[in-house]
Amino acid sequence: MNKGNLMETNLIVEGFKFMGLGMGTVFIFLIIMIASMNIMSIFIHKFFPESKLEINPAPKQDNKKVIAAITAAISHHRQG
Amino acid sequence: MKNIVIKFLALFMLFTFSNVSANETATHSTGSDTHKEETYKSQTFSHMVTGFLKSTGIVAFVSPDPDELNAKGEKISTFHKGLGRALMILLTFFLFWLAIAKGFEPLLLLPIAFGGLLANIPVANIGGAHGFLGVIYSMGLSNEMFPIIIFMGVGAMTDFGPLLSNPKTALLGGAAQFGIFGTLVGAVALSQYGFVDFTLQQASAISIIGGADGPTSIFIATKLAPELLGAIAVASYSYMAMVPIIQPPIMKALTTDAERKIKMTTLRHVSRLEKLVFPVMVLTLAILVLPESTPLIGAFMFGNFLKESGVVERLNDTLQNSLINTVTIFLGLGVGSKLAADQFLVPQTMFIMALGIVAFSVGTASGVLMAKIMNMFPGHKINPLIGSAGVSAVPMAARVSNKVGMEFDRNNMLLMHAMGPNVAGVIGSAVAAGVLISLFQ
Repeated sequence: MNKGNLMETNLIVEGFKFMGLGMGTVFIFLIIMIASMNIMSIFIHKFFPESKLEINPAPKQDNKKVIAAITAAISHHRQG
Repeated sequence: MKNIVIKFLALFMLFTFSNVSANETATHSTGSDTHKEETYKSQTFSHMVTGFLKSTGIVAFVSPDPDELNAKGEKISTFHKGLGRALMILLTFFLFWLAIAKGFEPLLLLPIAFGGLLANIPVANIGGAHGFLGVIYSMGLSNEMFPIIIFMGVGAMTDFGPLLSNPKTALLGGAAQFGIFGTLVGAVALSQYGFVDFTLQQASAISIIGGADGPTSIFIATKLAPELLGAIAVASYSYMAMVPIIQPPIMKALTTDAERKIKMTTLRHVSRLEKLVFPVMVLTLAILVLPESTPLIGAFMFGNFLKESGVVERLNDTLQNSLINTVTIFLGLGVGSKLAADQFLVPQTMFIMALGIVAFSVGTASGVLMAKIMNMFPGHKINPLIGSAGVSAVPMAARVSNKVGMEFDRNNMLLMHAMGPNVAGVIGSAVAAGVLISLFQ
């Protein structure tokens, strides 16, 4: 009986140890992740702002329009 | 039936080939039955009919073969061969009903249930080592391949944008992992007080149901307690399907009316580069902190990285659609093979089902409570309803948060806010899984 009781406390304590270690790791991991996410976004916004990336597609569309207009003009000219 | 087919086959060979080669071929194809075909003599028709009748399924259910072995080569009790199988087949019909009429995760529940139906057929031994379900199981489940591939697909479907724009909501995804470890303590306590006999490995495998993440549950169960895989997978997927029923009462009980009406600040725009760096960053952290979690996180981030790179649209499309669909079919059937009566109809199953729902409830509650704790600190207020989305179950749990929020304020859209803790929950449960694995190394 005594031995059984001893085993009981041991296993449940074991479960709580798992909980402590597990939740600790999960939270530490997520806190580090949150911190690095914040650092990353500050870094990216400072050195690689989005607007620069988006400048490129815009002229491409203009180019297409210009090309389309020129082709239309040329074909019109040839027909005429 | 099988014997007669074998006999016909052997006779056919006798006529076709010379005597010697026929014997050799028959030895290869029929194994231990060889001696029977050698002594084959013309039987009276009534003999053949009784012989055939003895091999029907009805006889196999009513008076099963006493020497039949299960997938592991152990003897099966009479109950598990007769009534047990019949009960399991009825249970699979019930799962069909849940999947089709009630819409409970049909994508996985249907293959699992049908696999269960096939695994409980007597005589044919489909779930055995040489049956096709057994082959599927050893092909991708016993080596944890399928859950990993599913994880890649899920990664390709995941958008980390909402999490990146409000990083602190990741804590909610961490809090919900209390569901896992709370249940672990519960399972260990149950076996302590002699209700059921779970080892620490089995208790850990069961508790991961609280992560509300199907592939992670299957991954851990095959690693730590393969004998419980069927019950754990069924519990995990059926409770995930029941998230809209389980969660709202808990969420409402733990929040006040004012809290439920909290409006959250609009999410900022997230640049493409941030989304591209994020998967590599998380994987790097996982490598540094907990390498045991990298199979899951690595596969997840691989899928996400392909998606966010934007240059491999074809691979991204395959991961999100054809690959994940193919593997889902195999995964479902393979898990279904563990629904064989002799493995599923054991007292432990009942406790797994009970512990599973405890795991989900504790996870939900701790997510909500964590949000309330975070609101005590200065900063933007968080609507506690999104805390419940910290249990993974993407995107179902986030939709539930949104729905409950709308019940109290028609204009309060919480969906995108809830996606943050939701995807963080996936990362959180992968980390928790890594901790559990590392403890048993």
